[in-house]
Amino acid sequence: MAGLPPAEPVIRLEAVHKWFGRNHVLRGIDLSVFQGQVVCVIGPSGSGKSTLLRCINLLEEPASGHVWFEGRDITDVRTDLNKVRTKIGIVFQQFNLFPHKSALDNVTLGLEKVLRMRKDDARELARRELAHVGLTEKEDAYPARISGGQQQRVAIARALAMSPTVMLFDEVTSALDPELVKEVLDVMKRLASEGMTMIVVTHEMGFAREVGDRMIFMDEGLIVEEGRPVDLLSNPVHPRTRSFMSKIL
Amino acid sequence: MTVLDTADRPGRLQRWREEGTRLSKVIVSLGGAALGLTLFGPVGLVLARGATPTESLVATLRSGELKAILAVGLVAGALAVLGGWGTYRRMPTKASREQAVAGAVLGLQAAILSFVLLRFTGGSIEKFATNFLDFRALRPHVGEFVHGARNTLILALAGESIGVGLGLALAMLASSKRAVVRAPARVYINFFRGTPLIWQISFIYFGLIVGFKVNISAYEAAIVAFGLNTGAYAAEVFRAGIQSIDRGQLEAARSLGMSYMQAMRYAVIPQAIRRVIPPLMNEFVILIKDTSLIIVLGLVQREYELYTVGRSLFADTFNATFFVATALGYLVVCLPLIRLVTAVERRLRSGLVGVVGHLEA
Repeated sequence: MAGLPPAEPVIRLEAVHKWFGRNHVLRGIDLSVFQGQVVCVIGPSGSGKSTLLRCINLLEEPASGHVWFEGRDITDVRTDLNKVRTKIGIVFQQFNLFPHKSALDNVTLGLEKVLRMRKDDARELARRELAHVGLTEKEDAYPARISGGQQQRVAIARALAMSPTVMLFDEVTSALDPELVKEVLDVMKRLASEGMTMIVVTHEMGFAREVGDRMIFMDEGLIVEEGRPVDLLSNPVHPRTRSFMSKIL
Repeated sequence: MTVLDTADRPGRLQRWREEGTRLSKVIVSLGGAALGLTLFGPVGLVLARGATPTESLVATLRSGELKAILAVGLVAGALAVLGGWGTYRRMPTKASREQAVAGAVLGLQAAILSFVLLRFTGGSIEKFATNFLDFRALRPHVGEFVHGARNTLILALAGESIGVGLGLALAMLASSKRAVVRAPARVYINFFRGTPLIWQISFIYFGLIVGFKVNISAYEAAIVAFGLNTGAYAAEVFRAGIQSIDRGQLEAARSLGMSYMQAMRYAVIPQAIRRVIPPLMNEFVILIKDTSLIIVLGLVQREYELYTVGRSLFADTFNATFFVATALGYLVVCLPLIRLVTAVERRLRSGLVGVVGHLEA
């Protein structure tokens, strides 16, 4: 991002805690993500990975702690979250496309209603984004009429169209049939190679190893270990990381 | 996804023809004939001899021919019941078993109906016919009933329009995360759901006139009451509809930077609306009949709706045929709507509404 000194993280979390009822899901998370980094978050289910991701655009409100985005404390109640969220794209496990809108209209909705773009401009941009994820011929299709992989690519296009600074991916291939995973990962790989800052919660270790700059292992609401994906995957230091890796690899 | 090849699958009638045994065919025909005779025999006889004047109708209802028709229906029905009941377990094919069961059921319906009709024609037919079936007296008043039906529809439509708008607003308030916003909506909804409509109509009328010094006609006050009442019920329908939309939809919209209101307006409510159409139409059918409660306010003649028309004609003539006509009027208005609800429900169920997940195109 122009104007940001290189040392300033795009996203910074400080002592973030989150409870669901009596369940202490995040137990003090500190994390900095810098411009252009691809950070992969792994860990057993229930370890707080998704919650962490959702705390970054404040879909979940941290119980305590701070989240900074581009140098601004967005946990401050005076922050206009709607504005911040246009700069943080998120893609969900269950796609969450709007089923009553065509692929194209899924993408234009935010452009027209949030960014106040003119209809023609919005459609033009949306077509470009759909072409970018290889779905030009599906722009009029409704979500129920296209495959899961295609739906997820529309969801990525919908997020990208807002021209976010950061993209969050929440287990985006977990709900897909195995033969559809690759088409989604390919889109993400290209995005990473284009220099997008990405935080990716995933179980795709191959993707993490190939694309990730950093890997974070979470367990029981804490960041247990972090480092280069190669190191974490082949030489985990912490016993919990080691036991997790031995189970999945 | 496998597409079922329906071309080679024989229809039910064809299978019934091919796989039924001789006995099962006899049983189902017997049951069907018995019911047909019991249903259409008396109607045909009445139509052939004329439903008016009442004397002719009474004569037909009392005639030996009618009794004979019903007796045949009763006996044939009973035979079909016995035959079907006794043999269905031993039928060799699925189609023949179904035929035996169908014959028994049709026969039972025929037997019950003919028995009831026989008992009925044995009562004080004359008194009944002059009171309830005096269709001659009806003829000059058909226009009034049509006018009444129009008023009924106007009242219901106006009330429903107010109610739907109000209900959506109330539903939004009632699903707020803030208790101070939720509470007044809940009080309103529970009050209007918890008191009788007939009470609301009178109190709103007199309340507006006396309390608020609004110069309002009974007709208009009733529309207000219907609207306020329907609003409470529609609010619950909308609330359920909104809650039935996956949370992910709201989250997806919010994550694009939409405000809560924008997310509701563009993502959640358009989907919720489709789901609430059948229950809202159901409420509308209920309201059509409830508009009859307007009778407590006293209307001028051109404002009469179906029930008031029947009621006032009855008061003038002491002829209850007008009430029969009123019921027929409500049926004429409501039955198409009820059919429409069913059709819309079926379309929504089979359609793509709310389907997330993947289907191959």
